[in-house]
This record gives sequence, C-alpha cells and structure tokens, in this order.
Amino acid sequence: MKRFRDVALLAAVIGFVLCQSPQQPIYAAAGAARSGSQAVQTAAPPATENIGAEAYATHCAICHGEHREGVLPGFPPLLGIDHQMTDQQITELIHNGKGRMPGFPKIQDGDLAALLHYLATPGLSSSGTVAAAGSVSMGVHSSELEQAGGGLFQQHCAFCHGRDAMGGETGPDLTRSKLVLADAGGDKISEVVRNGRPEKKMPAFTFSSQELDGLAAFIHEQVTKATSQKGKRRGVDVADLQTGNVDMGKLYFSGNCAKCHSPTGDLAGIATRYEGLQLEERMLYPRGAKSRVTVTLPSGQKMEGILAYQDEFTVALRDSAGTYHSWVVRNVKYTVDSPVTAHVDLFSKYSDADVHNLMAYLQTLR
Amino acid sequence: MNLLKYSLMLAAIALSSQVAPPTSLLAQDLEPAQILKPTPDSWPLYHGDYSGRRHSHLTQITPQNVGSLSLAWAFQTGQTAQIKSSPLLVDGVLYFTVPDNIWAVDARSGHMLWHYNKPTTQGDHIGQRGVAMYKGWLYFTTPDDHLISLNAKDGTVRWNVMIADVNQGYWMTMAPLVVADHVIVGVSGDFDNLSGYLRSIDPESGKTQWQWNSTPPAGTPNSTTGGMTWMTGTYDPELNLVYWGTGNPTPVLSGVTRPGDNPYTCSIVAINPDTGKLVWGFEVSPHDTHDWDAVETPVLVDADFHGKPRKMVMQSSRNGYFFVLDRATGKSLLTFPFGPVNWTLGIDEQGRPIPNPAKEPAPDGRLIAPDEGGMTNYRAPSFDPKTGLFIVDAHPSYSLYFAKPADGYYGWAGADYGLWGKGVIEAIDYQTGKIRWSHEVGTGGSGAGVLTTDSGLTFTGDAYGNVLALDTRNGKTLWHAGMGEPMQSSPITYELDGRQYTMTSSGGVLFAWALPENSQTAKRSTK
Repeated sequence: MKRFRDVALLAAVIGFVLCQSPQQPIYAAAGAARSGSQAVQTAAPPATENIGAEAYATHCAICHGEHREGVLPGFPPLLGIDHQMTDQQITELIHNGKGRMPGFPKIQDGDLAALLHYLATPGLSSSGTVAAAGSVSMGVHSSELEQAGGGLFQQHCAFCHGRDAMGGETGPDLTRSKLVLADAGGDKISEVVRNGRPEKKMPAFTFSSQELDGLAAFIHEQVTKATSQKGKRRGVDVADLQTGNVDMGKLYFSGNCAKCHSPTGDLAGIATRYEGLQLEERMLYPRGAKSRVTVTLPSGQKMEGILAYQDEFTVALRDSAGTYHSWVVRNVKYTVDSPVTAHVDLFSKYSDADVHNLMAYLQTLR
Repeated sequence: MNLLKYSLMLAAIALSSQVAPPTSLLAQDLEPAQILKPTPDSWPLYHGDYSGRRHSHLTQITPQNVGSLSLAWAFQTGQTAQIKSSPLLVDGVLYFTVPDNIWAVDARSGHMLWHYNKPTTQGDHIGQRGVAMYKGWLYFTTPDDHLISLNAKDGTVRWNVMIADVNQGYWMTMAPLVVADHVIVGVSGDFDNLSGYLRSIDPESGKTQWQWNSTPPAGTPNSTTGGMTWMTGTYDPELNLVYWGTGNPTPVLSGVTRPGDNPYTCSIVAINPDTGKLVWGFEVSPHDTHDWDAVETPVLVDADFHGKPRKMVMQSSRNGYFFVLDRATGKSLLTFPFGPVNWTLGIDEQGRPIPNPAKEPAPDGRLIAPDEGGMTNYRAPSFDPKTGLFIVDAHPSYSLYFAKPADGYYGWAGADYGLWGKGVIEAIDYQTGKIRWSHEVGTGGSGAGVLTTDSGLTFTGDAYGNVLALDTRNGKTLWHAGMGEPMQSSPITYELDGRQYTMTSSGGVLFAWALPENSQTAKRSTK
C-alpha cells in the first residue's frame, strides 16, 4: 500500500512537472526568452512589486530595455529569465556581473528579493513571447503573423540579411531599403522575394501569399524597431561617411574620373539623387551600367547596340529599336565597349583616404 | 599432384580471391576498407576519397572524345531548393540531398528508390552538402542541428541525436566524415558568440565519442568564440590524422573584444580521430575581421616539393592565399596569394599572413580585396597529380567593410557590402603559387566546384548555367552544355557497367553525362 502511494505521488509530481512544458520560440535567436506557461506564483504585495520595478528601472533598464526586452545585439532580453536560471544564479550575476555587465554588489536583502520577484513576473505581451531585436521605446506587441514571418525569415533570409533584417552576410540592411520603406502591405517586398535579384545573387523563393504577408509584416516590424533605436543603430549612416576632404577629392576626381565624368554634366546633382552608402557604392562601382557591343557578321555587315548577354558561347545585343539579336560566338567577330571597367581598374589603386575624399567631393554636387 | 592440377588449383584460389564477399553483392553496404580504397564504381564520401583531391583515375572520357559527351539521364527533385551536395554512389545507388531532404536514385535508370522529406522549422536552411555512409547506414545533418541515421535501403530512421542547440544560434549543413568507427560532424553559426566544435559519434549507437572545441566557451577572458567547423575534412590513414578547417572568430567584423591571434579560428587543424586530440593547428588568418573562414577542403597530396618528397596539405583559402603545409608537422612550405589581396602587411616567418590594422572594418569603411564571400568558398578545388596543378574556382573581388561601437560586440558586429567580383578558374602551380592558366567564368562569380580526371579533363561550371569540360593543361573549353541554373555543387564521376558518368547539378536537377552508348570512341577505362 505504501509503495502504491509513493508511485501515485511520483506520478502526480511527474504529471505536474510535465504540465509546465515550455513553449519554444519560433526562431533561433540567442537570448530569446523562452515563454513558459504562467509560473505559479503567489501574488506579491504591491509595495514589493514597486520596489522591484524601481530597482530594475534604476540599475538594469538602460542596458536590458525598459520592458526587459533587451537591446540586441549586445544586451540580452530578461523576460522569462527565471525559467533559465535559478534565483541563486541570477543573484550571483547581479552581484558579480559578467563580461561587459558590471556587478551590483550593493543590491541586497529586501531590494534583492523584490528585484528577483520582479524579474519573475511575466512581460507586457499577452502571448508571452518576445521578439529578439529590442527597442528602447514601448515593447512592440508581436502578432501571430509577424511571428510566423519571423520564423520563415530566420530559416531563409537571415543568413544574408541578418537575423534582425539589418544586414548580414552579403545582404543589405532591409530596414534602410527604399523599397521596403515604400512597401505597403507587402506589395513590393513580395515581388522581390518571388523573383529574387539574380544579378545580385539573391535567389527566388516560392512562398504562399500568406507566408509573404508574414515576411513583410516581420520586416516592417524590424524597420520600426530599427528607427526607434536612436544611436545604437547597426549599419551605415550618412553621418559615418563624412571623414574625407573636399579639395583632395576634387583633385583626385580631376586626375582619375574627369576622362569620363563631369561635375556639371552627367554628375550634376548626383548627391540629390543618391546619398550615404548608396552614393559611395555607386561611386566605386555603378551596378547596372550598360556596355555596348559591335558585332561583325560573316557578310561584313556590322550591328551595334547595348550588350544584352555575353558568355563564352553566345553574345547578344538590343538594337536602337529595342529588338534582341543573338549569335553563336564562333560565327561572328565582336568588340565590347565597357566604360565601367575603368571603375574596376581603380580598385587596386585607391587608398581608403582617396575613397573618403572623393565621397566628400561628390556630396557637394547637388 | 601433377602440374596441371596444381596450376588449376592455384588459378581457382586466385580467382576466388577476386570475387567480392557475398554481402557486398547483395546489400548496399559500405565497409571502412571500401572508403580507404574506393572502387571506380563508387563515390563513397563527399570528396570521393579521403585525400580531398577530387581527382578521378577514370580515363574513358578524354579530351579527344569529350566533345561527344551527352545526357544519359536527369533527375528532377521537383522542388526549388538548389542542390549543393556531392552525391554518394555505393552499389549502384546514388544518395544526395537538399536541406531536410534525401533522395536515393538508381544510378542506371535515374529513377527514385526513396525520398526522405522531413521539414524542420528552425535553423538556417542555407544548404546541405550530402550524406555520409557506414555499412548499411546513412548519416544526415539537419538545419536544426540533429544527426539522423537512416537505413540506406529504404530511408527509414534508425536514430536521431542532437549535436547542438539551435536556439543558441547553431545550425548544420555539412556532410559528415566517416573514419573507421567514427562519424565526425561539425557545426555552423556566426550570428552569435558561440564556440565551434567537432564531435565524433558512434555509428551504431549515436553516442558521443569525443568533442574537440576550436575555441573556448563564450565569456572566457581574453579569448574569442567562433571557429565553426562548416565543411567536411580529409583523412590520412597512415598518419591517422583528420584534417579540418575552422571558421572565423565571433564577433565577426569587430576584433576589439578578442585581441591576439584567436586560436583556433580560421585554422587548418590536425586531429587524432580516435581521441579527438589536437596534434597541430596552423592559423590561416590570425585575428580575422573579415569573415574569412578557412573551411575550404584541406587537400592531401604526396609529391615532391622543391626536390624533396613530402606529405602535404594544401588549401586555397577564403582570405585570398594559397597555403601548402607539411601535414605531419603543420609547418608552412608555401603561402602565396591567388588573386588581388590588400589587407596584409606581409607574411610572417611561420607562413601566416599579417593582418594590416588599417584594413580592419572601420566606422567610415575600408576598401577590402577580396570581398566577404572570399577568393573562394564552399566550392571544392581539385588537385591534378599529372600536371601538379591545384585548380580552384576563384573570385577576385572588392568590398567595403564597416564596424563602429554602436554595432556592438555580438554576432556580426558590423556590415559589409560587396562592390564587384568575377569568377575565374585558376590552375595554381603548387610549388610556386604561380597561376599557370586562368579561365574566366563570368561576372559576379561562379558557384561551381572542380573535378579533374587522369585523362586530362577538368569539369566545372560558369556563372551562366553552363557545365564546362576544360583541358587540364591549358584551361581551354572542350565541351559545354547549358543546364539552366548556375552550378552550386562540386562534380563527381564514376564508372558503372563499363560506362563513365560525370554528374553535375543545376538548380533542383541532377544531370548524368556520358559518352553515347556503343560509341566507337568509348573504351573501358584503364584502372
């Protein structure tokens, strides 16, 4: 009989523990708070909660966010920290700090208990999950659509565009993209995702309309987060690119660029058309610049136009009427005129100072 | 016993020793001895053999007859993920992958035997390099960091073990390496400050045998994290050493919190496969701040170096330098750039590039050659012993790198932007580093790996979807076919039923190329 009771008790305990199963966040984000089922807590008297919240606001909020949502990449969110660490471990961390986190050995006794209690309270969002990229302003409430989109983003987009869409391996910062900022409800974003950008090595993806809606929602959410981050923003600001000297840039221009370009001609007003990183990238290599080709047919007839395709085996052009013509390379002679190659030739010659000086000079062409 | 009887008996004994043991005739099985000495009708691991040279002894397809190469069959996966894996061929069955999927295809008919398809919702789905095989079992890594062992006959799952925690930021793409009774796997993950490692798994039970960490745990004072073990290593059975490349340190573009050389990130390491102990490590990019993993194939070559026979390991590395090391000791024999590089102050006495602090990512940007994708990357190189040429799909390129305090010291910690690049197949003389011939393969660069054969052919692909057969002596194009999508995998070759096949992938389609059947010019390959 005693054995049966012990087994029943064990079963009950196991059952109770299993009921506390944590809900996994959809996307892989280090430090993302695990949303737990509501921890069973006794309600604390209001005074304790106030003290805890105050202690947090005074010592912790500046790094870990007003609502414990963290400020990634450097400062992890603390929501649900009581599911990841014991009180003992949290106390040790508060007192000793870790890495860049300072220690607060003076938080003791009543204040410490109140703070620990506060850290164990659930966050603002009713679903309990917290998006990884934090903002210092009011915690943004993640809808289900954004969460689903976020999951898909981590699997297929994050490698290039970064987990927070602010740029990663080879992929641009989407939160500064003109196309994203002009997008309404995913109309422009979905087109790019469906077609890819082959000339820039972005593949095409076949997602359903619903999946695309989720992705667009997630990306817009990231834009909101990014713009509210004030000064802690990742990526390249216009202000970052102002280290050059205008006169030195003007000199460099006249010696290296003036053969093809004119500040009052083709480059007049260039700095009103492009700014910041986009201007600098185009200055160094203007993607989409067209080449021209002259093809001599076996008959001796020449055809000339914009180079439309070229590999080892086929060459093609669009003539002045816009008509496409292609030839097998061994049947014709052809010469390509590619002025943009001059940009490539300069790569090995620039110093970084040259680049910054040129940038300073070009920004005066408004 | 008279002479005739005696000779007949000898002949019978000799003949019986040629017959393969019954098991291999009936089952799709791979014994460790078959990986050590692959037969021409097999491609038993990612590289084809343990050396990583991706060089075949098959000679049926030659520079003279390759112009008639044609399509034997194609297999369409019917889905949009690009094939980045090298197929395995064992006992007439091909096994290849994309993330979350394995196909088993009859190599003769090109028809499917089975398809494993179990979508995962976490982890980066950037690619999948293929399965490994041990006896009758396949080993498959998933984006969410599981190693799955499947029955090669039907794709049913035997066991599933977790190698890393995807919620911490790890993911997996690699093809495992089977050495004796070890299945060795590695991990990826650059968006978090994580320690990289290799793990050896028992092929029968799935239990961990050992783990080697490339970097210490996050938070260790005065050290770095990172060193992800992205791609499959190589193995020298005589020295009993596994050679592996490790990835870049984290935080990636900012080196402020990790001063010093950051061992063993961006390194070639020699590990004892039975114990997991490091025997030597060589840093290809000390204190890297450009995301230049050194995970490209550590190619094992036994040949003369400047008149002396050497056991060497060679790597065309992402940072733009070609390295030749003595693979017994890890000592540098040669370090030479194989494209424009502008980020070093020179090479030190140990043969390691000295990074120029003025070329570290900065708030107002630095112009860097090569770009972050590197002078080469995942695409396999090939070593041709006849010409002594190390052939690699290279990517001369330029980029801008930025990092500022506001970017923090976690994960990427900065931003980089490629400006321009192109693809060039380069044939490097391994004794001098000089490039003997170059073959341009398109603006933007090509994703194709390289395969060479004893008959003097180099198989690769360009940026426009063409598969190319080049003359290994001079890089001239001898044959091509338009597959539709640029190749993102490395070619393999094998001989089945007296016919040599070269296998390439494009998009979601696998192509098997061969000389026309009953062709006058097709001869059985000399072995």
